[in-house]
Amino acid sequence: MFGRARSPVVRKDHSACSGCSLCLLVCPVWRQTRDPRLTPEGRAKALQHGAPARELAASVAACRLCGACEPVCPEDIDLVGMTLGLRAHLADPALVTALHGRMKEIASQPLRVLDAKIAFLPGPALREKPQVMARITALTGAVPSTDDGVDIEEALQSGIPIPRERLERFLGHLRAAQEVVVEDGQWMRPLREWLPKARLTSLGAALGNLDAVRRSLRKTDLYVIEPRAYHSDYERLVGHYDRLRTERGCAFNLDLQRIAIPPAAQADWILKGLRVERVVVERQEDAEAFVAHGAYPVVHLAELADH
Amino acid sequence: MERLNARLEIPEVEPGTLGACPVAPDALVDIKRQQTNPARWRGRGWKEFSDAVRALGVEMSETISARGAYATDAGGTAYGLPHGVVIARSAEQIAGLLKAAQAHRVPVTVRGGGLTTEGESVAFGGVLLDMTGMSRVISIDPAALSVRTQAGIFWHSLAEELRREGLDYLSAPLNLTSSVGGTLGVGGIDVNSPRLGCSADQALALQVVTPTGDIVECSDTQNPELFARVILGYGQFGVITEATLKVRPYTPLRMHYYYYSSLRTAIEDLQLIDRNDASDYSGILTILDCAVNLLVAFDSPEREAAFKAGWESRLRGHGEFGFGLRMLGRYALRPWKLGEAWLLLQRKRELFPELQRSEYMRDGLMLDRTVVFSRAVWNFWGGRQMVIPDLATSAAKFADAVERGNAVCRKYFPHYTLYCVGIRLRKDHREHYEMSCIPPDAEEWAYGCEFEPMTNGRTYSRDHLQSFKNAIYDIGVDVGASYYRFGGMMKGYIRRVFGDALVDRHLAMKKKADPAMILNRDVIF
Ligand SMILES: Cc1cc2nc3c(=O)[nH]c(=O)nc-3n(C[C@H](O)[C@H](O)[C@H](O)COP(=O)(O)OP(=O)(O)OC[C@H]3O[C@@H](n4cnc5c(N)ncnc54)[C@H](O)[C@@H]3O)c2cc1C
Ligand code: SF4
Ligand code: SF4
Repeated sequence: MFGRARSPVVRKDHSACSGCSLCLLVCPVWRQTRDPRLTPEGRAKALQHGAPARELAASVAACRLCGACEPVCPEDIDLVGMTLGLRAHLADPALVTALHGRMKEIASQPLRVLDAKIAFLPGPALREKPQVMARITALTGAVPSTDDGVDIEEALQSGIPIPRERLERFLGHLRAAQEVVVEDGQWMRPLREWLPKARLTSLGAALGNLDAVRRSLRKTDLYVIEPRAYHSDYERLVGHYDRLRTERGCAFNLDLQRIAIPPAAQADWILKGLRVERVVVERQEDAEAFVAHGAYPVVHLAELADH
Repeated sequence: MERLNARLEIPEVEPGTLGACPVAPDALVDIKRQQTNPARWRGRGWKEFSDAVRALGVEMSETISARGAYATDAGGTAYGLPHGVVIARSAEQIAGLLKAAQAHRVPVTVRGGGLTTEGESVAFGGVLLDMTGMSRVISIDPAALSVRTQAGIFWHSLAEELRREGLDYLSAPLNLTSSVGGTLGVGGIDVNSPRLGCSADQALALQVVTPTGDIVECSDTQNPELFARVILGYGQFGVITEATLKVRPYTPLRMHYYYYSSLRTAIEDLQLIDRNDASDYSGILTILDCAVNLLVAFDSPEREAAFKAGWESRLRGHGEFGFGLRMLGRYALRPWKLGEAWLLLQRKRELFPELQRSEYMRDGLMLDRTVVFSRAVWNFWGGRQMVIPDLATSAAKFADAVERGNAVCRKYFPHYTLYCVGIRLRKDHREHYEMSCIPPDAEEWAYGCEFEPMTNGRTYSRDHLQSFKNAIYDIGVDVGASYYRFGGMMKGYIRRVFGDALVDRHLAMKKKADPAMILNRDVIF
């Protein structure tokens, strides 16, 4: 009665936007462009006033799907869903045809069910680090998937529908898994819907819960949280990282609202004013921004247990 | 029918004048009805103007997606569409825009966070200038404890930058998304305002683009007349493009809450604390009429200890436990009020944990007060219609005015909250305060109270909300107060409160500074 309870099932659409601008403050696109039209508020308000989807094409394309806007929205609007809906509306037919062609081809390949209780979905950058992959399996018991679903991820990002046979093949190969660990939090949202019985864990949380990993975190570390997983399970994970901060004293890529700052193009801002000696990343792709920055050694969370 | 339509149409009037109300001119005996909703600017000369602006290289958006985004403000009761939107990028760009607007007599409405509640930042035609495009910090001087920033910046973004240097702003609205420029023009009240004053008083210098397009630096010593008019000037005398502000070392807060069953007693204790400089932060937030929360906080253990030793025992409020016992007694004797007890418990269960979320606390100290309070404000009171009329009075008149306002709330809504806070005044800024939210008779402190209905998802008619606001504003006229929120639909009040002579003097200054009356012209005149 007093507050508005957050319902995990029924989420609001653009019509509920009050224009509070809280989503602007955390949006990396806003931080870089200072252009309100390219923000979730800009899109929601434009839709409220009857803007056609084509007028929002640039705004929709600019979104990085980091999910930072969702936990701060007091109206609990499905902002990522709103953007994906617009992307679906605007999808380039040639791109849809090409992607569907690729997906159908993958779907026709024989299915190999992953024989593991804990499955692991890595991203392409991590695949290129076999030692780190091996450490992850050794530490968590999670077995890397035989189908990383790169095409599905692309379709998800573009709002393109996924052909049934392709989805069945992908989900079929995870059939035996009771838990799925994901490196890119973008998987959280669809897998929650597709595999309602499986436990979904972000790689950061899976590793961060291990004593061997936690023990190796230092006060002088900058710990880089993977934003998508964090924001998609914010209420739970904000506590997880807060406990980590209390226990280990390391710094995080969190702003004053405790929202994760995505590292791409923002490494300088994340590091500003911090006194750190090492950067620890949960997601291999996030390492690039700090490697390019060049000031500190960058390690993957899984490698910590060796340090 | 045609004649009736012609009669009901809101007439276009000379900017700076109020037309007759077309709805019911003679409905109220002895009260002159005035048109307070501005007529939409009809777009005369828009094409020539927009060509001229584009020739200057200024990007102006005329799509529905760009214009629709600004159709209303946080108040959500005034709606208007601009003809075009310009995102502010530089003082030079704004100077060009304003020069062209003067030449073509096109109104320009400036918008920061758009958190006004009476339509002040809504454009009823013409150009909407969105200042948030200019929101970078220019330089921080930790030694001089000052910051130079573009004025479209949100206070929260400024706080993020300052924190990296171990600094903080002095006082700002507890809402994260008001902008520096929008706040310096209207006031800016924080729970440390009883000590540090309003946000507008922390500005050391400003860069302003005048309505005729000159870029001018002003401060207490450089162009002081312009400075005095722009500060607390409702955006009438120029667009604030940059500001130099005082800052201070960042400190986390030691919070204490005291509970009262009487609003008046809580106000008296608030004023006792303020008069004696007994705390660093203070304010009142009502939960129910019989449960009033006095918040007191400190920047240092020394100040906290001095308060505990010297002042705590003089307060008549109770700690949470003591108040809980008293409430138990109250409801044991009045079982028919159990519904109220249940509501109280529910509010405690929902709101209190929000104010103490562990990620914003460390070792019992609150790290980011604005984040904590802003989250609570938007989560519990926010929505597409924010109805927050207010009163600002001298210290002596405050308790009476608040009690009367509380009675109005009770009449209009089942649930509401009052937020009261003191504002330390600067003797050397008396000129800034003329015709502003600071009431003319306030000495040393002014006091402000916001009256916030909690609509709990219910929809009220616009008339209901407007009658409620008018009933609050009428108290201001009656007791000789002022308001934080002038403009838009209530600009008629400004003459009733300050009198024609003062308003006409300011209007003459406005006409001199802004011959075509283009800048924020529907806000107060
Ligand atoms: C939920 C909520 C909570 C609030 N809490 C507080 C609070 O705790 N304390 C408090 O003091 N206030 C509070 N307010 C009021 C609000 O914060 C103030 O009105 C605020 O300072 C406005 O800032 P803004 O950037 O949103 O200005 P806007 O609403 O955009 O504009 C305000 C006025 O200034 C003009 N203007 C804007 N920018 C400029 C500029 N750069 N140059 C010249 N003129 C300009 C506009 O035309 C308009 O007339 C609250 C409002 C809401 C909705
Ligand atoms: S998902 Fe990220 S990039 Fe996209 S609108 Fe939200 S905050 Fe901005
Ligand atoms: S946070 Fe939500 S309600 Fe606020 S402006 Fe953004 S989308 Fe709208």
